[in-house]
Amino acid sequence: MAYEPQYYPGSTSAGVNRRKHMSGDLEKLRDISDADIVTIMGHRAPGEDYPSTHPPLSEMGEPDCPIRQLVEPTPGAAAGDRIRYSQFADSMYNAPSIPYWRSYWAAINCRGCDPGTLSGRQIVEAREREIEEYTKVQMDSEMTDPALATMRGCTVHGHSLRLDEEGMMFDMLARCELGDDGNIYYSKDQVGIPLDQKVNVGKPMSDEEAAKRTTIFRYDNVAFGGTIENRDFDEGLVALHHMWERRSLWGFRPE
Amino acid sequence: MVTKSDTEPVQIEIFPQRFLKPETAQRLLNEIYKVGGITRIMIQGPNLPKSIPYGPGRGLPIEENLDLLLEMGDQALELRVKVGRIWLELASEDYIEKIEAACERALPFSFTTKKGKFFRTTSTVSDYAKYGTDADKRIIGLIDPKAKRERDLAILSDSR
Repeated sequence: MAYEPQYYPGSTSAGVNRRKHMSGDLEKLRDISDADIVTIMGHRAPGEDYPSTHPPLSEMGEPDCPIRQLVEPTPGAAAGDRIRYSQFADSMYNAPSIPYWRSYWAAINCRGCDPGTLSGRQIVEAREREIEEYTKVQMDSEMTDPALATMRGCTVHGHSLRLDEEGMMFDMLARCELGDDGNIYYSKDQVGIPLDQKVNVGKPMSDEEAAKRTTIFRYDNVAFGGTIENRDFDEGLVALHHMWERRSLWGFRPE
Repeated sequence: MVTKSDTEPVQIEIFPQRFLKPETAQRLLNEIYKVGGITRIMIQGPNLPKSIPYGPGRGLPIEENLDLLLEMGDQALELRVKVGRIWLELASEDYIEKIEAACERALPFSFTTKKGKFFRTTSTVSDYAKYGTDADKRIIGLIDPKAKRERDLAILSDSR
């Protein structure tokens, strides 16, 4: 019998979007070229060979280990690539994806990656070959809105601040700008080093579309617990409460 | 600085829904200045550094944040922050409505104004460190502890 994981309870738009993100069943909204993604990430120049930290695994010879025999190495690991990262900051003002949900997406759908979740940013580290592929999926899909979620390697401050007049998240290093044609351009790479040519990452979503695609619960959009006069707990919150109650109050241990 | 009046000064905070671009902030300040009745004004927001503070690109200049000026009356100040909120001390309550009308004219999005006590009244340790024991009560807490008085504080001439 095929088991279909539910991933997340609830029928609100936030719940549905959370399921979409975790299952990897995302809509592709734009197509940014591989070279552009590599340029924004800033770890190597597009077209350059992948620098490596160790010789390819086939040449190296590995110890006799049943796990190594069971698990197929990812292409990057087999070639001996460096481990590199891409880090995103998602605005709390209805960015489509939020740190935990990016991490869930990466952990469930990406082989050989190490997602890290912090309140203001989310980072995925993987072998260079892999991280470029995963970053391309993130940037192309509905997980990333160019104005509300930007790739920021450092100085990430801005996820909880008000948006600026053009609807973009505050960025101390001014990595992105809104062009006259309505598209967002990265004028610097993810750590703030200026690029020779600006990279077009597409048009930002309108406020209504962002509110529909977001995974964050907000009191002025889809509320987690309803309003003060009208408490209406989302199924996700009820499930969380049950887990807490059974574990903390009644000592339930699932193992 | 201001001729003595018999009305009670009142402090308000203008909190726009979005951060202001330098041009919009300048437009807003012009409108507010036209209304008059201002004794003190303070602009606050997240920092816009002139060069990348840390990371692989540390030290590189940030072109977008250089050369931002805010002018009010005959004085100009360097704009170091992304304008998030403005505190005003007005000579009397009558000016509040006019200030709100000025904001309606200048800002293309909504904003809220709050009346309250925003400027500090007593000296703190940072104020003592900056100004000494006899700090002028009008400038206590007007600029952040690291700011330099010559660069970040301007006194407008008393012509209104």
